[in-house]
Amino acid sequence: MKDLLRTSTSLIEGIENILNLQAKIESDASNKYLAMAAWLDRNGFDNTASYMYKQAEEEREHFLKVFRYITDMGGIAVTPSVPEVQQEFASFREVFEIALQNEIAVTQAINKVIAKCRAENDYATEDFMMWYVAEQREEEKNARRALELFELINENEATGKFELDLQISKIG
Amino acid sequence: MALVSDLTTKILFETEKGYSYQCDLTNSIIINFVDTVSSYKIHDFLIFQRKVNNVDILNMLYDLSDKSDAQLIETTKRNFSRNLTICEIVQLRELLNGTKFTLNLHSMLCNILKVELI
Ligand SMILES: [Fe+2]
Repeated sequence: MKDLLRTSTSLIEGIENILNLQAKIESDASNKYLAMAAWLDRNGFDNTASYMYKQAEEEREHFLKVFRYITDMGGIAVTPSVPEVQQEFASFREVFEIALQNEIAVTQAINKVIAKCRAENDYATEDFMMWYVAEQREEEKNARRALELFELINENEATGKFELDLQISKIG
Repeated sequence: MALVSDLTTKILFETEKGYSYQCDLTNSIIINFVDTVSSYKIHDFLIFQRKVNNVDILNMLYDLSDKSDAQLIETTKRNFSRNLTICEIVQLRELLNGTKFTLNLHSMLCNILKVELI
């Protein structure tokens, strides 16, 4: 009898599930950044708004990359549902605090995928996920740099917010 | 024309309400459930199995209105389209999950045996 499962896909179910979850996390991240971009835009932070729009697009690409990997490997990619995301923020600074928290959560999720790949001997997926490891290293560094700038530039001084908006948008 | 004995060796799972087998000629899974025969490529089978498992049976049980007595279960490419009662959904689940179990087991065995042969 033929092994129909193995000939149709190189992903075992557990890996397929965790990749679909990762796709959803990336897609959610894209929406979170989009909401941040809108908030920044309507509060006058034009430069960081553009920066966040760009982040939103990047996350969308991360999402598509996993999504297509699943189908390329013969798996079943499930279009993620779109949940509500935070639309309002208490302050300019809070936006970047939450952004960093999000990036840390994404890094942890990626580490879990890799741990699962190792447990299941799926080295192809592990190799694929290594791109995300490098990407997260950059993302976390950039998010942390934004908060660092809040320490360096006093947002309550005359042109503080204006300067922060400019400097943060230059990160990366 | 496949022999009957050939067919029976490829039976994947059998319950009181139906059985399933694998057709190596067409690379498909054939499900015979309460006299409805439908055939699936592996992906469509997996999607069908997940769909049946995702039916919210508890919700159907607690909902006393007539519309919750049965639910239309349809698959991709319209291999299967029937109004199933709660009881039938549970029976179909048993058949599909059993089938999936055999497929997994077979795949695992193939994997292990190949490794040992090399
Ligand atoms: Fe990402």
